[in-house]
Amino acid sequence: MLSVRCCLHLLILLVEAAFILIFFFLTSYDSSQKDQKTLLEAYQVLQDFTIMAALGFGFLTSYLRRHCWSTVAFNLFMLALGVQWAVLLDGFLSQPFQGKMIINLSSIRLATMSAMSALISAGSVLGRANLVQLAVMALVEVTAFGAMRLLCKQLFNMDDHQSMMHIHVFAAYFGLGMACCLSKPLPNKVEKDAQAEKFQMATSPTLFAMLGTLFLWMFWPSFNSALLNDANEKKNVVFNTYYTIAVSTVTATSVSALNHHQGKINMIDIHNAVLAGGVAVGASCHLIPSPWIAMVLGLLAGLISIGGSRCLSAGYIMLINAGALSFAVAMGLGSGLLTGLLLKLKIWKAPCVIKYFDDQAFWEFPHLAVGY
Amino acid sequence: MRFKFSLMAIGLEVAMIVLFRLFAQYEVAQNTSRQLTATQPPKTDSFLRLYPLFQDVHVMIFVGFGFLMTFLKKYGFSSVGINLLIAALGLQWATIVRGLLHTRGQKFHIGIKEMINADFSTAAVLISFGAVLGKTSPIQMLLMTILEIAVFAANEFLVAEIFMASDIGASMTIHAFGAYFGLAVAGILYRSGLRQGHKNEESVYHSDLFAMIGTLFLWIFWPSFNSAIAEPGDDQYRAIVNTYFSLAACVITVYAVSSLVRQCGKLNMVHIQNATLAGGVAVGTCANMDIQPYVAMIIGSIAGLISVLGYKFLTPFFATTLRIHDTCGVHNLHGLPGVIGGLASIAAIAGGVSTTPTMAMQAAALGSSIGTAVVGGLVTGLILKIPFWEQPHDKYCYDDSVYWEVPRLREYEINIHEYEDQKQLEPQIQ
Repeated sequence: MLSVRCCLHLLILLVEAAFILIFFFLTSYDSSQKDQKTLLEAYQVLQDFTIMAALGFGFLTSYLRRHCWSTVAFNLFMLALGVQWAVLLDGFLSQPFQGKMIINLSSIRLATMSAMSALISAGSVLGRANLVQLAVMALVEVTAFGAMRLLCKQLFNMDDHQSMMHIHVFAAYFGLGMACCLSKPLPNKVEKDAQAEKFQMATSPTLFAMLGTLFLWMFWPSFNSALLNDANEKKNVVFNTYYTIAVSTVTATSVSALNHHQGKINMIDIHNAVLAGGVAVGASCHLIPSPWIAMVLGLLAGLISIGGSRCLSAGYIMLINAGALSFAVAMGLGSGLLTGLLLKLKIWKAPCVIKYFDDQAFWEFPHLAVGY
Repeated sequence: MRFKFSLMAIGLEVAMIVLFRLFAQYEVAQNTSRQLTATQPPKTDSFLRLYPLFQDVHVMIFVGFGFLMTFLKKYGFSSVGINLLIAALGLQWATIVRGLLHTRGQKFHIGIKEMINADFSTAAVLISFGAVLGKTSPIQMLLMTILEIAVFAANEFLVAEIFMASDIGASMTIHAFGAYFGLAVAGILYRSGLRQGHKNEESVYHSDLFAMIGTLFLWIFWPSFNSAIAEPGDDQYRAIVNTYFSLAACVITVYAVSSLVRQCGKLNMVHIQNATLAGGVAVGTCANMDIQPYVAMIIGSIAGLISVLGYKFLTPFFATTLRIHDTCGVHNLHGLPGVIGGLASIAAIAGGVSTTPTMAMQAAALGSSIGTAVVGGLVTGLILKIPFWEQPHDKYCYDDSVYWEVPRLREYEINIHEYEDQKQLEPQIQ
């Protein structure tokens, strides 16, 4: 407890102070006149994103019964940190920089999306990193993701929408790379049993995870359509995503039942698989001309994702040019591994293996804790 | 269960895709380019205007209805999970059925309005799901979704196109229809073995809190639900304001009455979860009419009052005397307030706030909604009664574990105990 605290408050306060200074000197609000309608539209999309990031991703991973608090709260923390850094980074990287960068709703929107990459990756080291490690990870990942988008833009001539749709692949492999470095075998059997006990499902955390899933599910059309400018394309994206993800839900549920010898449905399958459709259709969905193609895609995504292979990349490979994809994968893996190595350094005082997946290491606990 | 359910679901899904291939297409781009020069506002404009409303409806359907039903202590997974499943299937099927009905079997275009209406249609199924909650299998629910949406679309077509009645918040066509359909199915599927109640049919502390999540989301977004398909401008504005005040008035009444009907004056969580929403249902039909806010508040209060009284007196009466067991009490939340909504619209037209639909049309709409619902429900119930659909045994009603992989641990089985040693609460990190 002490070690996390003493390291955390110093680091975070320093970072926050630095942010405030940079924001003070280098940013200004958008003072140009805009009509009310575009402003409202941008604000609505931003709200959808914030809901997805804070509620959706926060609760999606809260299914570990002894790690709910950390999941939700650390998620919010990383989001807040990531957004600030991403706003600055986008400002430095994208516009020709002239002393002051201008912050408007669309730059915050982009920043929220970038910060989401950190939230996705955090899922793969869930319960194994402390808050300082997560903070470092968020900063590094947002930087790497910003760099990747810039390179994508210049090397492959992609627009914002396409490069942003690599977020899932990038974040997934970043997370995998990190998890490779951070995973440690457990020393003996007693501790393994203790660990297994923490992995048991429990009703309330699973339901909370379902809440997160539903929020992601509902707002996925906004996510996929946000960065497109053409109203017609936007509309198509919303329709395609809507039907794809509905189909992948039905398919995932039935395949989950098929997987079990008594035909029982697994809730964890549902959590992950229903979203597979939305991810799979992401990059290409403004090009799909009629609903049934999107629905077939959803069917495939639903089938594959339960089969256990990586639905995300499978859905992608079918759809987008492989060069940029492998670039995203390589970027993700490479920077993930580096970050993992960085996080492995002793200075972060990582929680010891036996304390993995446990809220008690980080929180003041209620006096009457049920089930502990 | 394993093969029957999976194959049926995938089969239905493939059928949907084939039907979409045959009949559904997007609005083509040339529409919009033509409209740029035309005088009428372009379609994309209405898309951007309606999209936020669509999302609000989406939240209500998936989070609102889903979590509202999680109040049973062992049935949370099914409530949320099956809710998601049947809504996802239902919205596809509703798109098809409505599209085919409105174009008389031609190819049809999909727009944002169609998506909102598809979501609306699934609401009717979810309401009926509430009535039979805990007593059916997922296979039966798939079947009910298909049958109910077909009947629903027919009735809606009848009300909107033939009677030309006004039902902006769909109190009659969705709420009353869904409730009476569900009641009819529940009546046919009545289980004599559960006459004395079931040990799993009760809530625990945390399951009631989960249900409250659903209530709050429904409550917050109800104005969007009632105004989503209203004409922009005055109609939409009035629909929002009326619903808002009706809901607010309803809440106060419900708290008061709930405290009143209990001897020691304690509030009942079931009333708070459900009856507080009755105001939104009841004001639905006349929400866009030029009724004054105080009238909306009166409608909301009456709905709240009736709803609480329904939970207190009517539900036990239904379960014991009429042999209709209504798990969520959808009759009190959707059925009665839906009827109140229909009557209120008739009264409002009698009061002269609107002239386009006549009283006779509204009455016919109310009658046909309830009539088709009961008939459709009875037929559906008979089909669902065929002992082929893997119905749960009486003993396993209201239990997730028949159809879901469930945790070995359940919170309510563990006694709450206090730590004797304070140090246990604050372990150190090495």
